[in-house]
Amino acid sequence: MNRADILITGMGAVSAAGIGLAETLDSFARVQRNAGSVTLFPTVTDCPVFEVKHVPQEYALEGQRTLSLALIALDQALAEARIDDLSGCRVGVCLGTTVASQLNDLQFYTSYRQQDFTSLLAVDRYLKGNISAYIARRIKARGPVLTVVNACSSGTDAIGVALSWLKSDLCDIVIAGGADELNHIPYCGFGSLGIVNPGLCAPFDRDRKGLNLGEGAGIMVIEKKNSAQRRGVSSDLFLGGYGSLSDAYHLTAPSPDGAGLKASLRAALAEAGIAPRDVAFVNAHGTGTFDNDQVEGKVLEEIFGSELKMLSTKGYTGHTLGAAGGLEAVFTAAGLREGWIPASAGFLNQDESIPLAPIREKTLISGRYAVSTSLAFGGNNAAIVIGRGATE
Amino acid sequence: MKILGTGIIFTRGQGIGVLENSLRSGWVKPAEMDVPRTEGNTRPVYQVDLDAVQDRSLLKKLRRADKLSKMSVLAAADALADSGIADIARKKIGIILATAFGAQVTTFDFLDGILDYGDAAVSPTTFSNSVHNAAASYVSSSLNIRGPTLTVTQFRFSFQSALQLAQTWLEQGRCDYLLAGAVDQYGDVLGYIAEQKLTAAQDGRIKPFVFNPTCQVPGEGALFFLLGNDRTDSAYCSIDSVSTSGDPDCGKPVDINLIDADGMLPDESAYLSALSPDTLTTAYAPIFGSMMIGGAFNLATAALMLKQQTHYAAPVLDNPHALLLLSETGPAHIGSIRSIGCNCFGEKSVVYLSKLT
Repeated sequence: MNRADILITGMGAVSAAGIGLAETLDSFARVQRNAGSVTLFPTVTDCPVFEVKHVPQEYALEGQRTLSLALIALDQALAEARIDDLSGCRVGVCLGTTVASQLNDLQFYTSYRQQDFTSLLAVDRYLKGNISAYIARRIKARGPVLTVVNACSSGTDAIGVALSWLKSDLCDIVIAGGADELNHIPYCGFGSLGIVNPGLCAPFDRDRKGLNLGEGAGIMVIEKKNSAQRRGVSSDLFLGGYGSLSDAYHLTAPSPDGAGLKASLRAALAEAGIAPRDVAFVNAHGTGTFDNDQVEGKVLEEIFGSELKMLSTKGYTGHTLGAAGGLEAVFTAAGLREGWIPASAGFLNQDESIPLAPIREKTLISGRYAVSTSLAFGGNNAAIVIGRGATE
Repeated sequence: MKILGTGIIFTRGQGIGVLENSLRSGWVKPAEMDVPRTEGNTRPVYQVDLDAVQDRSLLKKLRRADKLSKMSVLAAADALADSGIADIARKKIGIILATAFGAQVTTFDFLDGILDYGDAAVSPTTFSNSVHNAAASYVSSSLNIRGPTLTVTQFRFSFQSALQLAQTWLEQGRCDYLLAGAVDQYGDVLGYIAEQKLTAAQDGRIKPFVFNPTCQVPGEGALFFLLGNDRTDSAYCSIDSVSTSGDPDCGKPVDINLIDADGMLPDESAYLSALSPDTLTTAYAPIFGSMMIGGAFNLATAALMLKQQTHYAAPVLDNPHALLLLSETGPAHIGSIRSIGCNCFGEKSVVYLSKLT
C-alpha cells in the first residue's frame, strides 16, 4: 500500500470554538476564546470551561451529551465525504471517549445510596450508549467496532486504530475520532489533582497555571483510496502514520525525559516515511499544565529543532479529554488544507526552561505534512502524521 | 497469531494450573456474599480473593492501585512468565486491555467523595485510579512494558475486539508480542443492577444451555494472553480469525462450539442458531461467573484444550434442547474450536482457534 493511500475524505468538528469547521476557523482567525463559567451542572468551584453553548435540537439526546456532540461531528464528516448510503461498504467505527465509557451518573448513584426507588434509566442509557457501537448501529456500519478509552489520547489512538484496520483490510472506510462532554466527575477530578487553571489556560507560557476543561467531538472519515475512487470521491488529505508508546513511568505524570513521546513521534514519522524536516507544523497536546508542556516542548525541540512551527489549540477548545485527539487531528488537517494555522491562544511569555515557543499569530504554512500529538494519564503517548498532496 | 502464554486470576485462584484443576474438578458452588438491598442480603458471587495470592512481590508495588488494576497486573505477569520466552521483558511488547465496566468500583468511591465532602475535597488518588486506562497503565509500569498501550471497551465483545486489533498490530510490526487482556471487577452497584435487570441463580448454578429463562451469578477476574506470530515450544494454539460482526466462516466445520452463554441476557436463544446437532457444544461460565468479558475466560479454556488435547466437560449440563454436549473430561483429538458470543442487540462475535501443527 502506498503511503498516501489512506485518505481523509470527510471531517467534522464541534467545540466551544464553533459548530463545524468554518465557524471554528473563524474563531481561530480572530483568536476568539469562548470560555465561561460552568452551566451544565451545579458546582461550588468556579474555573472557566469551554462549553458548547448550543446543541441543535435535532441532535439532543437526554442524558447522552457526548453522543449528541459526536452525532453533530459525524454528520458534518459524512456530508463532506459525500456518504449517505453505506450499504455495500465495509465500514468500521472507532471513537475515543472518557466520560461516555463510565457509569458515573451522579443522580442515579445518589438515589442508589439513599435507597430510594432507583430508576435504572441512566444504566440503560449507559448500556446502549457505547459510543462506537451506537454510531455503528445508527449508520448501519458492518465492520469492526471499537471504543478506545485511553484517557486524553483516546481520539488520537482511535485514529491510529483506523489506520491499522484499513492497512490490514478489515474494512474500506472508518469513522474515527473522539467525543466527550463536559462532565461533573472529571471536573472535580482534575480539580483534585490541582492542575486546573482558575483563569484562562496558557499552553507553553512561562506563567501557565493549568488546564481548562472543555467538550466537543472531532470525527474523520478515513478511507482507502480505491474505495474513494469507487465512490467517485477524491481528497488531497491523507493519514500517513501513527505511533503510540508508553512511558511505563507514572499514573498521572509524563516521564521527565519524554521517552514515550519521542518514541511515538519517531514511529509515526517512520510509518509515514518522512523525516522531521518534512513536517510543516505540530499541533501539540499543550494542555497548559506545568509538566505536560515542559516535557512536550523539550521533546518537540529535540526531534524537530528550534525552528519548528508549533501550537496548541486547547486555548480555543479547552482540554476536551477523549475528544481532544479527534478535534486536533481535524484542526491539523484543516491547517494543511487552508495553508495557515492560528496563534497559540494564551501564550505570551516564553518559558526559559522550554527551548521552543508556540506561534504567537496566525501563520502561513506551506509544507506537505503535519503532526498532532496526545499525552495521557497512564503514560500513554500518541502521534499521528497527516499529509496533503495525496493526488499529486 | 498464536497464544504463547496465558495468565489468569479468577474465583478459584491464580494461574493456568488452577484453571486446569478447576476444569477437571468441575462446578463448585461459589461463596455467598453480602449484596446490599437484595432479599436476604446475600447472593452467590464468583469473587476473587486477592488475600490468597501467594507471591506478594507484585502486589507490594501496587499499594495505591485498586483491585481491578491488581488483578490485571497479576494476570499479565503470569502470561509473560507462562510463555517461557527468554528475556521476554526486553522485547517490544504492546498491551491491549479490554474491559466492559472499567474501574466502576473506584468510580463509585469517587462519587462517594463528591457526595460526602463536596466538589473541592475529593481524593486525587481515587480519581486517577478511576480512569478506564489505569489498569493498563499499572501493567505497563509494573512490568516495564513500553510498547503501544491501549484500553478498549465494547461491553460483550470487548475482548474479541481487542484480539481483532492485536492481529493487525502484530501483522504490521507495531510490536513483536502483544499482551491482550480482559478484566472486570464485581461491585455492589453492579450486583444491584444485575439483580434488578436479570434473574439471579439462587443456587449459584449458571445453566448455559437452557437459554430461556436464564439465570446469572456475577463474576470477576482478569485474563491475559501473550500473543505473537512465531511458534514457541509452550505455545497453546493459533487464533485463525476474529469477527465481531457475525460469522463470515459459518459453514466451516469445527470440533467444538464453545458458547459464552452465562445468563447476562434474559434470552440467550440466539446461540441455538449457531450450533450444530453433530458438533460438540460446551460452555464454562459456571467456572468463572457471569461477566460481559466472560468470552475471554472461555477462550483461555479453549486454548488449554487445544494445547493439552484434552476435553474438559462442561461444568453444568442441564440440557433441555438436547444438544450434543461435551460431557466427559479426558484425552481427545481437537483440531479446531469456534468460540461464539452474542449480545443484547442480536449481534454475534466469533473467534476460530486451531491446534498448532
